[in-house]
Amino acid sequence: MSEVSLLEVAGLGRRFPSRDGRSDARWVIQNLSFSVRDGEFVTVIGPSGAGKSTLLNMIAQTDAPSAGTISFKGAPVSNGDGAGLRPGLDCQIGYVFQDDTLLPWRTTIDNVLFPLEAQGRLDVHGRERAAALMDAVGLTGFERYYPHELSGGMRKRAALIRTLVYDPPIILMDEPFGALDAQTRVQLQEDLLRLWEAGRKTIIFITHDIAEAIALGDRALVLSRAPTHIIGEHHIDIPRPRNLRDIYAAPQFASLYEAIRAQVQ
Amino acid sequence: MTRWQSIIDKALVIAAVLALWQWGSMTAGAYWVPAPWPVVLALWDMMRTGEIFRHAGYTLQASLWGFLLGGIPGMALPFVLRRFPRLEAILDPFLVGGYGLPKLALAPLFILWFGIGIESKIALVTSVVFFLVYFNTAAGVRAIDPRLLLMARVIGAGELRIATQVIWPSAVPFIFAGFRVSTPYAIGGAVIAELISSNRGLGYLVQLGAMNFKTSQVFAAILAITLIVIGANAVVNGIERRLLRWRPSSKTASATASGGM
Repeated sequence: MSEVSLLEVAGLGRRFPSRDGRSDARWVIQNLSFSVRDGEFVTVIGPSGAGKSTLLNMIAQTDAPSAGTISFKGAPVSNGDGAGLRPGLDCQIGYVFQDDTLLPWRTTIDNVLFPLEAQGRLDVHGRERAAALMDAVGLTGFERYYPHELSGGMRKRAALIRTLVYDPPIILMDEPFGALDAQTRVQLQEDLLRLWEAGRKTIIFITHDIAEAIALGDRALVLSRAPTHIIGEHHIDIPRPRNLRDIYAAPQFASLYEAIRAQVQ
Repeated sequence: MTRWQSIIDKALVIAAVLALWQWGSMTAGAYWVPAPWPVVLALWDMMRTGEIFRHAGYTLQASLWGFLLGGIPGMALPFVLRRFPRLEAILDPFLVGGYGLPKLALAPLFILWFGIGIESKIALVTSVVFFLVYFNTAAGVRAIDPRLLLMARVIGAGELRIATQVIWPSAVPFIFAGFRVSTPYAIGGAVIAELISSNRGLGYLVQLGAMNFKTSQVFAAILAITLIVIGANAVVNGIERRLLRWRPSSKTASATASGGM
């Protein structure tokens, strides 16, 4: 793993015009900076309304920053005016949304293959990769099911491997397991960590759950309330592979939890 | 069980309508309102001679051409305008005006322009179907879930793929709502154009029967039109069901809700 940062966010800001259009625009994010190393799993914790999704949208190039720069592999990717936005940065940034965003008229396997199809890369190799990922998350046998025929957890798994199938170097995840029950959630976290340990993607994972941020990440960043910036950074030195079901028993857990909780307002 | 119940219910309604019709005929006189059975006989007679099929074929031809000439551009235009919001804003009041315009008032113009042949009927049907399909499709294109669009862009889908594989499938229920509303209007439009001036078609048959005081022929032609509308509607519904096979039926929806994972 190299120490060069893959993604660098510097002085990032985003403001939205006020509702009445007269008073000054409101900064949701202001002067936010951090960098992510190649292969790192970074979790980001923040209170609701802290502009977490806005942050990911700017990194994914679906929204333009009002200030600051985002650099990918050392080259700046945003020019600030929003005209030259390249959503997904030419398939180099994957994005797992809060909702599963599966296409309801496509079967599970066709949803998983959709990115390869759209990128003109659907071949035997791609199909094999999709089948292997389906198997890894326990979706084998459900290829021909439509999303509405799957449970919430299965839909999340399908959405997750739909992003993994085209192998983007960075994956953004916006509270992907938020709406699941505790049991399903741990299963999905285990699936995610297993896949990550096999492929070592770079992941930026947003959550409002402190325990989840500790359980998954190499490093946890804590966001302030709006205007949002980073108020805490915690290296999580719990060795991997981690036992997620007993993460609370890890000797480092309690102090990390306390330190983060003190910062999350 | 419920299927049989529904068939029985429908049969009861038909029986009630027929009884009411019979009663009306007896009260008003068979000359003004022919009883059901003579109407069926008159229809059967025209079927045997093939007369009804010739006229129905003509009407159907006008309807179908008008349906295609109005429906296809009506369906395509919202997909084009989506890419040009300024053009859409310019055209919108004119499209609304065209939608609100009573198309029947155009029929004399179409006859002047296109003659009393099939062209003027096709023109009338086209003008009716186009606006109905356009506004329904436009509503469908607008109703797309923006999260799906965002997802498609992030994974690298181009605009053409987004239009055909994301927006189109999600708009299909709206487009078919437009088709379903248009179907009776398409057939009705053709019939009315034939009523105004024609020497063929079911509308002409209605007009001819009325002029000759053959009310049973009028009723038989109207019955035929009704049957054609029902048939055409079944065809549209069948195509829609095929295209919307992915949609949850209420039965499967409740089945997955209970199955956890």
